[in-house]
Amino acid sequence: MNYTKRLLAEVGLEPERLEMFFLSSAEGVRFAEIATEMTERARRLGPSPLKNEKRFEQPTEVEG
Amino acid sequence: MSDNGYITGSSLEKALKAGFFVATGELGPPQSADRHEIEHKAQFLKEIVESVNITDNQTAVVRMSSISVAVMLLEMGIEPNIQMTCRDRNRIAIQSDLLGAYALGVRNLLCLTGDHQTFGNHPTSKNVHDMDSISLLQMCRTMRDDKVFQCGDKIKGQEPRFFLGAAANPFADPFEFRPFRLGKKVKAGADFIQTQLIFNVPKFREYMRRVVDLGLHEKTYILAGVGPIRSLGAAKYMATKVPGMEVDPEYIERMRDCTKDLPSLADIKAMDKPEEAKEARRLRKEASENEGIQICAEIINACKEIEGVAGVHIMAIEWEEAVDRIVQQCQIGPKYDPARQAV
Amino acid sequence: MIVAEQKPLNEIKALIADADKVLILGCGTCVTVCFAGGEKEVAILASQLRMATRLDGQEKEIRELTVQRQCEFEYNELAADYVSDADIVVSLACGIGVQTMNEQYPDKLTVPGLNTGGLSQPTEQGVWEERCQACGDCVLALTGGLCPVARCAKSLLNGPCGGSQRGICEVYADRETPCVWDQIYKRLEKLGKLDMLMEIQPAKNWHSSRDGGQRKIVREDLRL
Repeated sequence: MNYTKRLLAEVGLEPERLEMFFLSSAEGVRFAEIATEMTERARRLGPSPLKNEKRFEQPTEVEG
Repeated sequence: MSDNGYITGSSLEKALKAGFFVATGELGPPQSADRHEIEHKAQFLKEIVESVNITDNQTAVVRMSSISVAVMLLEMGIEPNIQMTCRDRNRIAIQSDLLGAYALGVRNLLCLTGDHQTFGNHPTSKNVHDMDSISLLQMCRTMRDDKVFQCGDKIKGQEPRFFLGAAANPFADPFEFRPFRLGKKVKAGADFIQTQLIFNVPKFREYMRRVVDLGLHEKTYILAGVGPIRSLGAAKYMATKVPGMEVDPEYIERMRDCTKDLPSLADIKAMDKPEEAKEARRLRKEASENEGIQICAEIINACKEIEGVAGVHIMAIEWEEAVDRIVQQCQIGPKYDPARQAV
Repeated sequence: MIVAEQKPLNEIKALIADADKVLILGCGTCVTVCFAGGEKEVAILASQLRMATRLDGQEKEIRELTVQRQCEFEYNELAADYVSDADIVVSLACGIGVQTMNEQYPDKLTVPGLNTGGLSQPTEQGVWEERCQACGDCVLALTGGLCPVARCAKSLLNGPCGGSQRGICEVYADRETPCVWDQIYKRLEKLGKLDMLMEIQPAKNWHSSRDGGQRKIVREDLRL
């Protein structure tokens, strides 16, 4: 997780946009809390700057 | 070999061969192209030591070259010991510089590996280390005695004939191997040795005992490295930040205690009158310097009693004035040694 | 093995600044094993570059491909279509791979995405320490199997120098790097071969090393 956050920071995106939480499907209350927290964060950070029109349809096949 | 049996006939060689307890000094060249600094510092060492080391880009910081400063010293009537490290020059440049040094009158040469360039002000430079101190000694001895260059070509004409020196660190590890490594340097051609600064006499004594056991003191002249501590800060720095140096805690205590009856630094800060503060600082400095010189003299006197020690190498960089007081107190060197006056 | 590390993202961005279509080409051998330029690293870098160039308002088309070994012409043939399609190729192979690509596809510039940094041993997970300098005249038999050329900061052949204390080399600021000569001493002591250390090793013949110029090995018995 720390590594991926660093990758985002290198790109110029706020690392706080990404987070990992562990919980079971029975923890409904916790899930709601987390969803609220991440929504707050997203609002605070603003819309993702990547949301503008895509210029290319990026192919992602990998061979070799 | 010259007729009178000397390798080079330098003052250093003659004094050592005559059996006097010899003292050498040291100068650090300026970090500029200004020769006046040398002329100013060198006069403090004139006639009180046998010869003066000139460091070669010490700690990999760019300074005026050892050989050029040696020429200035020769002009002033002082005998130089040039230092040549392996860090900056390959075998071609080294041999070339040595041919010139000899032609310009230099006779004493120390062969060193050299501090790594990461210590200095040009850490991005290329690392030469074409050879090490031992293969360098071997090369210089071969040029002198066999009259050939490192590649085997004959030297047509005057060969460079140096009185060859090397460094030794009794306090580096592995301790058991150090006397044997000294033996290797002797075998490679070291006529004299200067050790790292000694601030731990018992350990040095043990080292010399092993060296004498190997008979090395009869094959080379060993000069113990000594130097005056200027302040408590300097003592602590040497004890903790300089690899390869060992400082007996007793000396640090003494450097601390010598100013205990004087106003402390905190007291001085609180003083109203600037003249009072200045005088207090001066007294503290004087007390520290006196203690540092006293400790140095004691170490020298202890070394006089150790079998195998042929003299001392006094390192008082940036405090060359102290050397006169030290040699006078210990009665060593061409000016103050009573044995020399009789000659 | 050959080890490398990725160049900083900004440096790679600067290298592709003038291109619209970029191919990131990975290698499946050394750089995969040191996690610098394999298939996964190619995917991550491609993703980062897409995001970064989009943020800059200069979005580029980034394609990905990994070949088995980028230093061999026959493996690089697989990349032909991708290369002709791209404006520039960012190679995540070692310096050898980058140069092979430039030779094989001379009409396209292949730039390095990695800094190749040594012939090293994976001493523990995530750590690679330099072991060999490829000096061309191996002296390991004289030093109990520890290389003074690669592992001594001064490449001494008659070490240790005076800066070796408690087995640590004074040159490294971390004060943790072992002095290889101390290690050599202890190894030879254990093997009962300390007398080898009393032999004076003459100055090394550096001609077989990079100092003599670019090296070439030719095996006539293997040529077609």
